[in-house]
Amino acid sequence: MNFIRKTKELLLAHTSMQRVTLSKSVNVMLTPQFYTLKKEELPVKYAYQAKKIAPSLFEGLLEDGGTYDYIVFKEGDAWVFIAYDIERIRKFLQSKGIAIEKISKLFFAQQSVNSFTTPLSLSDKESLAVIDDTVVVVPSIALSDKGQSVLVFDEKFTPKEGGFSIKGTTKNSMITQTQALSLAAIFMLFAGIFMVEGSRYTGENQVENEELQSLYEEYPALENTSTRKNIIDKYKNIDSAERKKRDVIKSLSKMIFKGVTLNSVAMNEKSFKAQFSCIDNDVAKRVKKLAKKLHYNTSKVKNSTDLTVEGTL
Amino acid sequence: MSWKRYQNEFIAISTFILMILAYMYKHNQVVSHVEESKSVTYTLEEIKEGIALKKIWTDKKINKKIEVFKIIVPSSKVSWSKKNKKITASYQGLSSNELNNLIIKILNTPVQITLLDIQKTGLTYNMEFKCKW
Repeated sequence: MNFIRKTKELLLAHTSMQRVTLSKSVNVMLTPQFYTLKKEELPVKYAYQAKKIAPSLFEGLLEDGGTYDYIVFKEGDAWVFIAYDIERIRKFLQSKGIAIEKISKLFFAQQSVNSFTTPLSLSDKESLAVIDDTVVVVPSIALSDKGQSVLVFDEKFTPKEGGFSIKGTTKNSMITQTQALSLAAIFMLFAGIFMVEGSRYTGENQVENEELQSLYEEYPALENTSTRKNIIDKYKNIDSAERKKRDVIKSLSKMIFKGVTLNSVAMNEKSFKAQFSCIDNDVAKRVKKLAKKLHYNTSKVKNSTDLTVEGTL
Repeated sequence: MSWKRYQNEFIAISTFILMILAYMYKHNQVVSHVEESKSVTYTLEEIKEGIALKKIWTDKKINKKIEVFKIIVPSSKVSWSKKNKKITASYQGLSSNELNNLIIKILNTPVQITLLDIQKTGLTYNMEFKCKW
């Protein structure tokens, strides 16, 4: 059984490297040609605090026109700040045949400073060497062994931590992975709120439904919509017709005052007719006025002051 | 084209769509709740109205109540006929007070008036009254 963590192939990216063809994903280590490094002893405890001040530390040191990101890690008592332009790195790697999708993690040579025990030759002219605990590119000619290093660069140079993914910041993306995840979190939060709010409406009419069910149990005939409609229509018709009859009788009784005598009233289910005997024409006019106000038809009995009031129901 | 190139947009758009779907779910729930609530309330009101009207016009104590039409005036003045749920009553020689009292009782009793015929003869009134329930 193998308990050793399987490490991916580590590729050293430097400006004089040859074009490569990759069949599987690799880790990539960047030489100082792709980043700017600064070491500072600062009174901060956490990396995120140090990272906040990184842009101000590099003011005036970085090339104009680049978009820089920063990583911060601790080496002894000092904080190591690395500024890098991810677009420049991406373009370079792609120009060397390294597809972004094939890159698992990116590392900086400084992160493996302890692995560079002797200078590492990059080309005839340049080598990687450690000076003052910092990995730097130096002319090979300046080295005492003239670049005849036996140091072999392999996956043993892979730092145990501190790598970052380049995939989340693909060139074609309009938004970064962090922005995408932030947006996703916000959208998911709202989605959750909407779902919870929506589900709360289920069973909101419980009280009314229970009341309805109890009425159905008490009056089963009313459960069927058409039966219910027939029953209600039947009693509504009776109610309105009977109320009308009673209103007519009440209004006829109001027409009986001093000087007016009721002679007859005939009422069936469709119409009514009443005859009043009035003492003189003035009284008859008053009765007529009252009847007209209620939209009843009036007629005078010939050669008398009697008045007939009639109407339909 | 590899989808991985656009995975950030994919994540953002898919969660956005999910949020829209959740909003639509909530909106539908609200609309259906309002509609159901309206329907239930309408049905309840309809049923209550129906029950109330039925209680008025099919009063179980009506048989007792209509007996008043018979006893409110002296029995000599009444001719009374009751068949099933119908009444035919003839009143003779009613004074205006008796007629008034009788009419008020009829108006306040939940019966369906099918005929009301009042005739004045001299100083008194004759009345024919038919009703059902």
